[in-house]
Amino acid sequence: MNKTAITQPALQRSVERGAKRTRTAGKTLSYIVGYALLALLALFMTGPFLWLLSVSLMPGKNVFSYPPAIFPTFVKLDNYTQVWDFMNFPKYIGNTLIITAMGLVLNLILSALTAYPLAKLHFRGRGLVFGILISTMIIPSSTALVVHYLTLRWLHLLGTYIGVVLPSAVSVFNIFLLRQTFMGVPDDIRDSGKIDGASELRIWWQLMLPMVKPGLAVVALLEFMAYWNNFLWPIVVLDDPSQYPLAAALTYLNGQFSYNFGWIAAGTIISVVPIILVFLFTQRYYMEGISGAVKG
Amino acid sequence: MRVKRLRSDALTAWTFMAPGLLVVGVFVIFPIVYSVPLALTNYSVLGETKFVGFHNFERALGDRSFLISLWNSMLYIIIVPFIQIISILMAILVNSKLPGIKGFRTAFYIPVVTSMVAVALIWNWLLSSNGVVNYVLMELGIIHSKVGWLSSSKTALYVLMFITMWKGLGYYMMLYLAGLQAIPGDLYEAAVVDGATRLQVIARITIPLLRPYVFFCSLISLMAAIRVFDEMFVLTKGGPGTSTLTSSLYIYQQGIMQFNFGYASALGLVVSVIIGLLSIVMFKVNQKGGVNPY
Repeated sequence: MNKTAITQPALQRSVERGAKRTRTAGKTLSYIVGYALLALLALFMTGPFLWLLSVSLMPGKNVFSYPPAIFPTFVKLDNYTQVWDFMNFPKYIGNTLIITAMGLVLNLILSALTAYPLAKLHFRGRGLVFGILISTMIIPSSTALVVHYLTLRWLHLLGTYIGVVLPSAVSVFNIFLLRQTFMGVPDDIRDSGKIDGASELRIWWQLMLPMVKPGLAVVALLEFMAYWNNFLWPIVVLDDPSQYPLAAALTYLNGQFSYNFGWIAAGTIISVVPIILVFLFTQRYYMEGISGAVKG
Repeated sequence: MRVKRLRSDALTAWTFMAPGLLVVGVFVIFPIVYSVPLALTNYSVLGETKFVGFHNFERALGDRSFLISLWNSMLYIIIVPFIQIISILMAILVNSKLPGIKGFRTAFYIPVVTSMVAVALIWNWLLSSNGVVNYVLMELGIIHSKVGWLSSSKTALYVLMFITMWKGLGYYMMLYLAGLQAIPGDLYEAAVVDGATRLQVIARITIPLLRPYVFFCSLISLMAAIRVFDEMFVLTKGGPGTSTLTSSLYIYQQGIMQFNFGYASALGLVVSVIIGLLSIVMFKVNQKGGVNPY
């Protein structure tokens, strides 16, 4: 009796120690398997970009030479300097920035203004407005392109940046997303603003918007990506190629210089780097915002 | 007092919403409504506009290119389940707390943030018959002669599906990741205490609790698959032959390139009705499963 009383804890301790040892071994194994899978996937997802980078750094290399050159044997920036001089990149980057900035500001303001009453104010028809908005998300508008073209022609906005931005100046998806985030803000905040005698616009701007920053960050990032990468609609609306944004200009470069692989690779890398940087620096807010909006 | 407050709320609400609703009205709702009368005319840049009744719809039924484009769009739906399965597995993988996991998340998201123009260009080079893909596959002994992936009408559509999937996986991974992080941790702990294996945990806890996300992601990827355009526009222009002609591309060709506004509107309506029906089916199936998406 006495004996077991002494050995029981000791036994248990040694069993625990053994379990811990197999657990650490298992943990190490799952670490190795996990990292191996992650590395393979990372190669699959980013490999094509790394190869493009490698092509852009090898002047005079033909991407169709066989066997293909996968790794750079030498590194030179000639392609970058040459294509930069040839393409007038500052101009195209400037065009892209104008379009992106306009689209971003309009989307943030319009969707935040529209979403706020749908989440926080009580008025007749609120359910109806929200229902109609949501149903437009379910009904797809394949024909919209044609009607947008006709509408802009009627408004005399073809050939202008406003015409490029306006059809997507507010997206129902953004309204939906921000409404979800606004719903997560306590009503007390609005009430305290009311008691202090603030106008509704001031409550919205100074009290509410700071509370939904993660949601705004998601909208900003999604729209930044959409406008930065948009090429089809600008080509349809703008007649003068010198007005084109970067992605549209790139299709142009590809058509004109399909034989100059290094230039095209360098031009593509130049167009891709800014957006990857923006994503890198904002991804934390983006993740927060997505889970906030989905939970809300 | 309460009535007064409600009334002032209503005025504020409509003032706030007015600019946004105006844009939505003109560029989201009006196109859907206006395409109906437009589809009943022969409106184009040439000739005078006449009411033609259902002629455009009859013409669509006999238009071989349109029917092929519809078929290709329907085929494209194959990618939807693949996207869900792979991106859920990816989300589970990047949901771990391994050091450096954020770097991997970013790496998987890079194709999403990049423009289709850039993506198309890279894959066009990689997949050409003298390209890297053929070289690697032949070195590994998987294929024995060079394949013109995008220039063969047998493979082109499937290759485009692959590119669409490759570009989109990161996006759905992030949505599923948000879903995974919303699952309470004590559920997992309870399962571990009960001695559940990792696969059991995934099958019994993770997947069921992700269902609303699976529904949402399936719905948006379904719509994106039917509307797919950029890939074809940049890479194949619908070719070789009509093997990658999808309905969006054909509507674009008819409407924006050939200025057959009336006919293009009719085609758009047909496609819209099909997508609408598919979404209703998805909603019904989902409700049967007992999960309410909203």
